[in-house]
Amino acid sequence: MVDAARHPKVDVRTYTEVERVEGFVGNFKVQLREKSRYVHEDRCNGCGECAEVCPIEVPNYFEMNLSPRKAAYVPMSQSVPLVYTIDMDACIHCYKCIEACGKLDAIDFSLEDRLVWEDVGAIVVATGFSHFDPSVIPEYGYGRYPNVVTAIEIERLINSAGPTAGNLIRPSDGINPTRMAIINCVGSRDKRFNPWCSNFCCMYGIKNAILMKQLNPEMDITIYYIDIRTPSKGYEGFYDRAREMGIRFMQGRPTLITEDPETRNLYVHSEDMTVGQVVEREYDMVMLNQAAVPQPDVDTVSSVLNISQSPGGWYMEYHPKLRPMDSPTDGIFLAGACQGVKDIPASVAQGSAAASRAGRVLHAAEWEIEPVVASVWEDRCISAQGKRCGVCARACPYGAIQYEEGKAPHIVVAKCHGCGGCVAECPQNAITQLHFTDAQILAQIRALLADRPEEKVLALRCHWCSYGGADMAGTSHFEYTANERGLRVMCSARMDTDFIYEAFRLGAGAVLYSGCHSQDCHYITGQRVGSTRADRLLRAFDRMDMTPGRFRIEWISAAEGDKYARVINEMQELLDSIPKEELLEEIERLRPQMEKRARRMREVPQVEEALEYADRLKMAMIGEEV
Amino acid sequence: MASHTSSETFTDQVRAAPGGEKITYCFSCGTCTATCPIQWIEENYNPRRIIKMVMLDMKEQVLSSPFIWLCSACDICYRRCPQDIRISDLMKAIREVAIQEGYEPVRIVAQVDERTCAGCGMCAQTCPYEAIELRIRWVNGQQRALPEVDRLLCHGCGTCAATCPSSAISIEDLSDELIVTQIREFAEVTGS
Repeated sequence: MVDAARHPKVDVRTYTEVERVEGFVGNFKVQLREKSRYVHEDRCNGCGECAEVCPIEVPNYFEMNLSPRKAAYVPMSQSVPLVYTIDMDACIHCYKCIEACGKLDAIDFSLEDRLVWEDVGAIVVATGFSHFDPSVIPEYGYGRYPNVVTAIEIERLINSAGPTAGNLIRPSDGINPTRMAIINCVGSRDKRFNPWCSNFCCMYGIKNAILMKQLNPEMDITIYYIDIRTPSKGYEGFYDRAREMGIRFMQGRPTLITEDPETRNLYVHSEDMTVGQVVEREYDMVMLNQAAVPQPDVDTVSSVLNISQSPGGWYMEYHPKLRPMDSPTDGIFLAGACQGVKDIPASVAQGSAAASRAGRVLHAAEWEIEPVVASVWEDRCISAQGKRCGVCARACPYGAIQYEEGKAPHIVVAKCHGCGGCVAECPQNAITQLHFTDAQILAQIRALLADRPEEKVLALRCHWCSYGGADMAGTSHFEYTANERGLRVMCSARMDTDFIYEAFRLGAGAVLYSGCHSQDCHYITGQRVGSTRADRLLRAFDRMDMTPGRFRIEWISAAEGDKYARVINEMQELLDSIPKEELLEEIERLRPQMEKRARRMREVPQVEEALEYADRLKMAMIGEEV
Repeated sequence: MASHTSSETFTDQVRAAPGGEKITYCFSCGTCTATCPIQWIEENYNPRRIIKMVMLDMKEQVLSSPFIWLCSACDICYRRCPQDIRISDLMKAIREVAIQEGYEPVRIVAQVDERTCAGCGMCAQTCPYEAIELRIRWVNGQQRALPEVDRLLCHGCGTCAATCPSSAISIEDLSDELIVTQIREFAEVTGS
């Protein structure tokens, strides 16, 4: 940290918050709030005279509130920069610190927060994680029983730079504990609180047990666990070492901790699962290995940066396996536990990866993006004709569309990821997506349904998930009907109502509308745009009295090949169950309505031309007049 | 009656019964067993083990076990279960399968004496397990409302027996007379 602060090319801003982010990859403008320390950073030399004379003591957050600090403070002795801060919530304005500072004249109570704008090319988010508060689990008594402590409190109590200088004492009476219980999975793997495994607690509990055993080899330490997870290199050896040192491992999650009010000793009630017996053991102290949870301000940060969250509140990566350090927004990268709980080696690896990804941006004069971006036909846009609209801007998950009333929207191409949501949502068909134009897709639909359309299951698949699911079905040899006809678009958000109307107008037997599960969407909220539209379509077909199931919505991940095959086969079974004359009659009955709803489609530039071309091809293929 | 196909496992059967849906959530942490007040009295009662045995499809051993009838549905374990499983519901599902398969409840249940029952329905109102229902029946040419005890739901707690104003409902093998005799003898032994 000190090295980083000294580096000529590194500018460390501490006590600073990001307020706003504008722009796009390579060209971000970031507004920072440099909070006032009430100390001139260039004058303070970190001597600490101010803290010495300060009469106010408040709990020291860094020491888990186990010791006090002054209202004039540094968070810890290794702080970078070593500049004192006046805690205005605690300060009584006695001004003794100003006197103590003397000639340096570093303290200035009139200093205010400063708002500054900075130009940056890339952003790495490394905001870390927070700790679960175990006091919400009443049966463990944290907060009620003084000798039930958290892992971080133990961490400070056994640290030689900690409040007790490394002398492990228990809070109730200050004696050194000789019997210690460590409870794993406190608030993690627990559907009442946090369903995830907190990844590092097994190793972390073992580490603290080994440290305590080194402090006092006589100490009797028991680790209560559900499963011990030591998957990385060398970790199992660490677990072996703990057992060799005599640390006891007890399988079974404790249900209750009770306290002897006289001695303040604790009784841990659990089932020892290996023997299948309920046991109650007495300890001097209990350490709770609490869950890692997202920082409390994740929502603010993700809305400032326009990055999305995975379930639970961790920042969402672009791809969980291939691009875990990229956020879905170009130029913004993720490092460490803010993206998902991980231990130090994994955080360091991801941090280095994120830095090198950011380096690529900073060293590029030009930045390549996917060519599938949206573009606007201004002459078709009603907003350009002075009417209110803005549907496209609302559909965009990336904020890439700048909309102003009375003007055609401006698409910031560098921010556009090509989901196609705006294209499908535009009521005027005034936006198109390069390489996925209406004309191209409608021509494909025509070609796919050229021959005996009533027997076909047309499957609209999104590039990332359901297309991958279909691929998975193929590579896994999950058989499905040969009457399936697949069509790929980038996102379910691109699946225009016109496509489905046109498919049914052409007499498609069934149409599948498929994409990612909502939480897996590769375009932040693209799936939601698509899903809302699909539900609307479903209701419309319901009102038309279409046989239920001929239009079907399914969210299928790239791993769900079996589901893809099953869904397609079910749709085929449905078609088989309807007598052919009835099906043809229904198609004929609905055709005028489909025609009516899709009538504007033909006004879209290039569509007519593409359809003619598709028809010519069809004639060449099957020699039949359309 | 659940339909049985040859591929349906015991776990599937329990999952299909109402209350058994979440059985596969269990990762055997032992919290329920350590919590269970019945375990204090009957050391060999172990809900975790029963769940595990179901998931291992040890059908015969589970259904013939007296332990599946012991859960009193106090639901203390439900509040502490990290996997959000209501074990009392799960036990109910296992019992349901047991009844379907023709196993008899291995526990005492409430019995109604139709001769003295006035049909007031207080028993049905007080039953904490909703195991008693009033049914209109023809008895000796008379139409009467009589309580019917669901052997599957009744836990034999005796609340109904204590509530009944005409002592028409009692617990098998624990009749009022028996308890009164026990108290008398106890009083005589202690000599007061």
